[in-house]
Amino acid sequence: MEATPKVEFLGLTFDLTVIFASLLTAAIVLVITILGTRGRAMRPGKFQNFVEMILEFIRGVNNMSFNTKRAERYLSFSLTLFLYIFIANQLGVLLMISADVHHPIPALGLTEEALSSVESKVALFKSPTADINVAIALAFAITIYAHIMGVRKSPKGYFTHYVKPYFWMLPLHLIDEVAKPVTHAMRLWANIFAGEVLIVILLSFGAPLITGAPLLVWIGFSLFVGTIQAYIFTVLATVYISQKTSDEH
Amino acid sequence: MELGVLAGGIMIGLAALAAGIGNGLLFSRYLEGITRQPEAQSKLFSQAMITLGLVEALPIISIAFGILVLFGIVPPK
Repeated sequence: MEATPKVEFLGLTFDLTVIFASLLTAAIVLVITILGTRGRAMRPGKFQNFVEMILEFIRGVNNMSFNTKRAERYLSFSLTLFLYIFIANQLGVLLMISADVHHPIPALGLTEEALSSVESKVALFKSPTADINVAIALAFAITIYAHIMGVRKSPKGYFTHYVKPYFWMLPLHLIDEVAKPVTHAMRLWANIFAGEVLIVILLSFGAPLITGAPLLVWIGFSLFVGTIQAYIFTVLATVYISQKTSDEH
Repeated sequence: MELGVLAGGIMIGLAALAAGIGNGLLFSRYLEGITRQPEAQSKLFSQAMITLGLVEALPIISIAFGILVLFGIVPPK
């Protein structure tokens, strides 16, 4: 567990490490996609091939939940979501850099007390998705979008869906609608957070000769988990949107 | 503080138990499937990995909260 510099503004607390890591992730995604689509050739080079492979993969994901026409409409949405979460998950594993702060900086929330509990370690990089606020913001944005699209498609169908098949099922539907975004966010956050904490524990406790091998294994597993979770988050987002907008209801 | 350590230990332990049972069931069926139909391995593998991600979610949420309680971050000391 490392401390992060925080700034209080208008009664809200802003975590500077998370803000910086989010911006860095967005920049990396932008660079990858711009470089991958510059100078498109009929016989793609290695890098273009790689980006096209990801695109085809996401097209497959969308075709599982939507029909072909709608799948193309949501392609860029799903691709953005997948690339952002994928890069964000790997960022904390690959760039886990912390700085030693010896003098307290109260303006950034790094007081004497906060520093002593983490042995003066301040994180410079961490996964944005290892912060629960980022994961909840992503999941709730998707849920709100799904509900708005559901109302826009057919208001009557949307509201009668809550009392189908029986009226007493209304509480069950409401619990379902709340549980979906909460588990959607926590699934992502908990996986990345637990992975990072275990890496920090293996790094800081014990001799390197003893914890070195488990550390390498766990870093490999974290990269794998980050990929799987990015995929699952994208699949669930498309499923939740298609549940509200599909033609069956 | 001591109660927090106890609570964190119980949460992480139960999560390990649950994840062990869930993953054991999942992968025993996966192995059964590829023994019956070895040619379906590539198809079953990706499906098994998606299900692994879904099954692992609840234990890992419990582990994350267990870590938070164990290190005394939630609830505040």
